[in-house]
Amino acid sequence: MTYRPHRRIAALGAVMATAALMAGCVSTGGAAPADTSGEDTAGNLILQSRFTDAEKGGIEELVENFNALGEGTVELNSIPTSTYNSQLPTYLTGSNPPDVYTWYAGQATRDYADQGLLLDVSDVWDGMGDFPDALRTLSQTDDGTEVFVPTGYYWWGVYYFKSEFEKLGVTPPTTWDEFLAVCDQIQAQGVNPITMGLSDNAWLASAWFDYLDLRINGGDFHLALLNGDESYDSPEVREVFKAFAQTLPYIDPAVLGTTQNQAMSDFAQGKSAMYLLGAWAQPSVPEDQRDDLAFFQFPIIDPDVPIVEEAPTDGFMASAKTTKSTLAKSFLEYVASPEAQAALVKGQQGTALAANPEAEQNLDALAQQGKDMLESASQVTQFYNRDAGDAQQGPADAALTQFIADPEAVDSILAQWQSAAEKVRSAE
Amino acid sequence: MTTTALPRGRRRVGFPPPVVFVLVLVPFLIEAVGVFWPAIQGISLSFLRWNGIAPAESAGVQNYIDLASDPVFGTALRNTVIWIVLFGGISFLAGLGVALLFQSERRGVGIYRTALFLPIVFSLVVTSLIWSAFFQPSGVLNTALEGFGLGDLTRVWLGDSDTALYAVIVAALWREIGYVMVLFIAGLKGIDPAIMEAARVDGATAWQRFRHITFPQLRSVNLVVLSVLVIDSLRSFDIVWAMTRGGPYHSTELLSTYMFSTAFESRSLGYASAIAVVIFVLALAVIISYLVRALSEEKES
Repeated sequence: MTYRPHRRIAALGAVMATAALMAGCVSTGGAAPADTSGEDTAGNLILQSRFTDAEKGGIEELVENFNALGEGTVELNSIPTSTYNSQLPTYLTGSNPPDVYTWYAGQATRDYADQGLLLDVSDVWDGMGDFPDALRTLSQTDDGTEVFVPTGYYWWGVYYFKSEFEKLGVTPPTTWDEFLAVCDQIQAQGVNPITMGLSDNAWLASAWFDYLDLRINGGDFHLALLNGDESYDSPEVREVFKAFAQTLPYIDPAVLGTTQNQAMSDFAQGKSAMYLLGAWAQPSVPEDQRDDLAFFQFPIIDPDVPIVEEAPTDGFMASAKTTKSTLAKSFLEYVASPEAQAALVKGQQGTALAANPEAEQNLDALAQQGKDMLESASQVTQFYNRDAGDAQQGPADAALTQFIADPEAVDSILAQWQSAAEKVRSAE
Repeated sequence: MTTTALPRGRRRVGFPPPVVFVLVLVPFLIEAVGVFWPAIQGISLSFLRWNGIAPAESAGVQNYIDLASDPVFGTALRNTVIWIVLFGGISFLAGLGVALLFQSERRGVGIYRTALFLPIVFSLVVTSLIWSAFFQPSGVLNTALEGFGLGDLTRVWLGDSDTALYAVIVAALWREIGYVMVLFIAGLKGIDPAIMEAARVDGATAWQRFRHITFPQLRSVNLVVLSVLVIDSLRSFDIVWAMTRGGPYHSTELLSTYMFSTAFESRSLGYASAIAVVIFVLALAVIISYLVRALSEEKES
């Protein structure tokens, strides 16, 4: 009688210990996709969103409009972008993951699709109407299955203020020589020609690398390089760095210690004349200066190289383990519709172009210019980390910032970049 | 008086009451799940190649071999040593210094103590914002240097690989010194004033009083302060991450920031775990060697 309770407690303890230890386990195995056929389970469809506050309005409206249709309820979970980006693998590999996610098209999505973590949405695509082929390719896995629904894309350009350029007596350059001449002219008047905020956003330097490589070696080489089929230590990439070195005298010498906010404020105050940025930069310019803001296409270096532009594409994907695949697909179908996309881009303050060509949009002058520029390009790429995979961004940041600080060390920088990129790939 | 102790033969040697088991088991389980298990998992992860998405592959000791030839790891290790020596050393000396300065109750001393302790009240993110603004290319420091006619000394403090680490250490020190001061003041208050008085009467100089009375009397506080400083040095992460993210080009990388970026940005969880094991071994080595010394000193005395 005396030891009975002990035995019971010991048993209870053992059960608790086992349960607790199992809960503490980190699963290091790849999970097979769950069977997603059959009826949806009850409850809300969970939508994880990484949109910033400036862009949040659009997605909130989208969810509200969908819920009003009465097909089911979507619950929006907004998470800060940086947390979201690092947590995404945890969400997707979890045993009970959220159902739908905002994400980037291309390699960034393929990384997850290759592990069987994403829902096949090819039947959604069947009913989506006329989306451009380029967007379809960006939404596919290597074997041609659609796993992504694009909502919008945006352009990159060299931003400047019209009044500032007038004051300095320069006009937007179109060729590399003109660009360097404009930089020279601006600098001669005591204004710093180019700025970047690299101390907290080192990835902005990749925009320069991407564009220089696209203009010198073309889109195919660029993508092959980012895929690991070409080497950073090659003569082609050395050419890119030679052109990059030509711009260094015109880049604010303080960029490595300047935050994105500081660089933006230097730019808005006319201390720096040009800033290579994505369309998302527009809302961070003071409101009374937005009409004065303009951009020009990244200058052409070699006229024989077909023009390629960066057009990062955003959209949605769904987890393969969702227990509400029917509702998820009907939500994604709605997301692809012209009305939904029109509402979504409107909420993003005119800095995105709807992926659906039928979506009605009131494009302002800059958006129209961006759209024309992308449509006339022979090919579009996304952005360094989206084409190469997120894990490659670290080595790129280190190489590019070190080059800005010490251009003489280009040989060792490129060798190190190549070996760091290989190491990241071998870990994948 | 009668003895209440039970006769030897009748004392029960069996189990303690069940509630004791519960009280021991429950905290142990929480600890096992929250601390021991992840730590053991971290060690086993360090022998894998895993990106958090694909199935993990066994890598043997390859991660450790790679670490040995990784130049960024070398920089991070060197910076961590510099950090322990400078951050730990200066915090100790400066904390002790200001504690001696502000230990006695004089008019207005509270203001100085509060001013020194204030930085610890701010969150680290705020601290890093204040100091980033201070070190900005057109920030307070460069403006002041120019104002004093020392324009040649202006620099991009956080963007220059020669100065960035030291600039971050200054920010970390600003926060730590007030905390160490409070620990030392508490220790100084515990010293019997009579001993000091006796020394003074015997004609001991201020230095002699410090060397032979104050410092030896602070031995137990020193142990606490040094442990706190070593632990704080090795876990320093937030201030570096918030101010430079380990950059420019890894020049302010500490083992902790390198571990974090390897795990969550480069997605090499196995490699990052190997770095974590190195940090763990390092912390253990420092603490054990210190404890051994402290214990042997105690035995001698």
